[in-house]
Amino acid sequence: AGGGYMDEGKDEERGGDDEGVKVPFGSSCHSHRAPSGRAGDTPGLRGPRAATPSGRLSPASRGRSRRHFKVGENWRQELRVIYQCFVWCGTPETRKSKAKSCICHVCGTHLNRLHSCLSCVFFGCFTEKHIHEHAETKQHNLAVDLYYGGIYCFMCKDYVYDKDIEQIAKEEQGEALKLQASTSTEVSHQQCSMPGLSEKYPTWETTKPELELLGHNPRRRRITSSFTIGLRGLINLGNTCFMNCIVQALTHTPILRDFFLSDRHRCEMPSPELCLVCEMSSLFRELYSGNPSPHVPYKLLHLVWIHARHLAGYRQQDAHEFLIAALDVLHRHCKGDDAGKAANNPNHCNCIIDQIFTGGLQSDVTCQACHGVSTTIDPCWDISLDLPGSCTSFWPMSPGRESSVNGESHIPGITTLTDCLRRFTRPEHLGSSAKIKCGSCQSYQESTKQLTMNKLPVVACFHFKRFEHSAKQRRKITTYISFPLELDMTPFMASSKESRMNGQLQLPTNSGNDENKYSLFAVVNHQGTLESGHYTSFIRHHKDQWFKCDDAVITKASIKDVLDSEGYLLFYHKQVLEHESEKVKEVNTQAY
Amino acid sequence: VSKMNKDAQMRAAINQKLIETGERERLKELLRAKLIECGWKDQLKAHCKEVIKEKGLEHVTVDDLVAEITPKGR
Repeated sequence: AGGGYMDEGKDEERGGDDEGVKVPFGSSCHSHRAPSGRAGDTPGLRGPRAATPSGRLSPASRGRSRRHFKVGENWRQELRVIYQCFVWCGTPETRKSKAKSCICHVCGTHLNRLHSCLSCVFFGCFTEKHIHEHAETKQHNLAVDLYYGGIYCFMCKDYVYDKDIEQIAKEEQGEALKLQASTSTEVSHQQCSMPGLSEKYPTWETTKPELELLGHNPRRRRITSSFTIGLRGLINLGNTCFMNCIVQALTHTPILRDFFLSDRHRCEMPSPELCLVCEMSSLFRELYSGNPSPHVPYKLLHLVWIHARHLAGYRQQDAHEFLIAALDVLHRHCKGDDAGKAANNPNHCNCIIDQIFTGGLQSDVTCQACHGVSTTIDPCWDISLDLPGSCTSFWPMSPGRESSVNGESHIPGITTLTDCLRRFTRPEHLGSSAKIKCGSCQSYQESTKQLTMNKLPVVACFHFKRFEHSAKQRRKITTYISFPLELDMTPFMASSKESRMNGQLQLPTNSGNDENKYSLFAVVNHQGTLESGHYTSFIRHHKDQWFKCDDAVITKASIKDVLDSEGYLLFYHKQVLEHESEKVKEVNTQAY
Repeated sequence: VSKMNKDAQMRAAINQKLIETGERERLKELLRAKLIECGWKDQLKAHCKEVIKEKGLEHVTVDDLVAEITPKGR
């Protein structure tokens, strides 16, 4: 029968269980290992029964439990009282009594798997066998675990299960959690801002229709190293490779992927068919559907034309411009703003785009006269880096002179990403023609300016300014810039400024501090000239596999291919994510 | 109960306070949520299944599992 596995009613000897007893549970255990009897009874761990909940260890034990207890009529209520007083305490009174009384009567500890005897008032710890001693001496063979509420039988030498008892346990635990949540003080409630913290994560209990569904769909998808879900080409709709490469990068951003694939977007737009976030959600579903044929992103293109007019038309656009425009529209649509009129303050926005992409760029202007520092912090979604050879750049140090940071290929003459970042964050003397008004001096003074990172984004995007549109010329700088697979941003942070003043670059050698470390996961490249070119991207799949996305064509690539490519946009993902409310570090096991 | 030294007494007092205010429960739940989020629970669950397969479903006890996975969990 469906669900017969859990049915206690199949026991043969049920009579004699209803004698009234003073204590809730009679101490005699009538158990014996019930033979599982029927052939083929024991399900393997992979049988459909594995889907049923309750965590029973052994199907053979299902015949045993009720026989353990001589039960009084009120055993249910008495059990509830035990749970409320000693295991899951919801009220201040029960908590107080638990705090006072729940310690081992032998050694006084509150740890070590403390158990309470079910036949008398005795608490003993399990690890030190104090409860075992009590059971032996007094012949009280049942005890309840004060941490989990499980009931232990000393004759069977294991925990025993009963469907009704489990139900009662679940209810009492739920009640206690509810009570606890409702009496939270303001402070601790803020700390419990994680979703569902006041309710236990419920285990999945299959319903009858779900069981049927599982039966009709026996094929299981297993994630192996060769799975290709997530890899899907995008049809070029007419010079739309600038859009395709960004879509590939975004859909392979681990934290963004997790957001959309867990269906976390709730549309707030007045007209959802115009919502770019909804379309993004749909794109993720398409790309991760397992469908290998290329996807046609016509709806995305249409929405881009509507919301980012400057990118409309069939001419080739700049991928970086598209990235920024897309992030902007996504950010606005997260808040339900389709007209772009609301003055969104990125500093206080909590949308997924800001949570992931927004970093804080700190600008410090130091007055040369009084040495007063004026600091501003601006939100930024990317870092645009000047390259050597551009007419605007001022490249005083010969590239590659400093020792190799971040393990980039260190060949004299080759500029690295770190070189560019170092240059970006160097103190810059503004010169006599660019005096700034100093607040304390109350006059215009010469000053130095320095940019550093104040807050690091979860996903850092670096943009090499390869396209030069100066008055004199329009050209593409094709200098190869070496970039690493792993990047430590510590030297470029505001906190590292001290060491920078001395002209030294603080090398983060095995500092053991992982919170500023990033891993490369996507690279967008441009081939060709300013007038006519083509965008492709490399994306990281699984842990260490890379694939080249050239519109509809996806091909396997080596890490060398990626690192040898010219590089236009680089996407890095933080290795360790900080939990906002508690500032406790946790490793994101879904990133790299 | 008289076997406790000052250090243990302090610990017991702290624990009492934590239970009384309900803070211990909150911390427990927070820890539980984080351990689930980062995959720790799933990893240990998988290990449990291996142990069960090894020892056989009929013969394994909770104590066996506790002994096996406690060092791994730590």
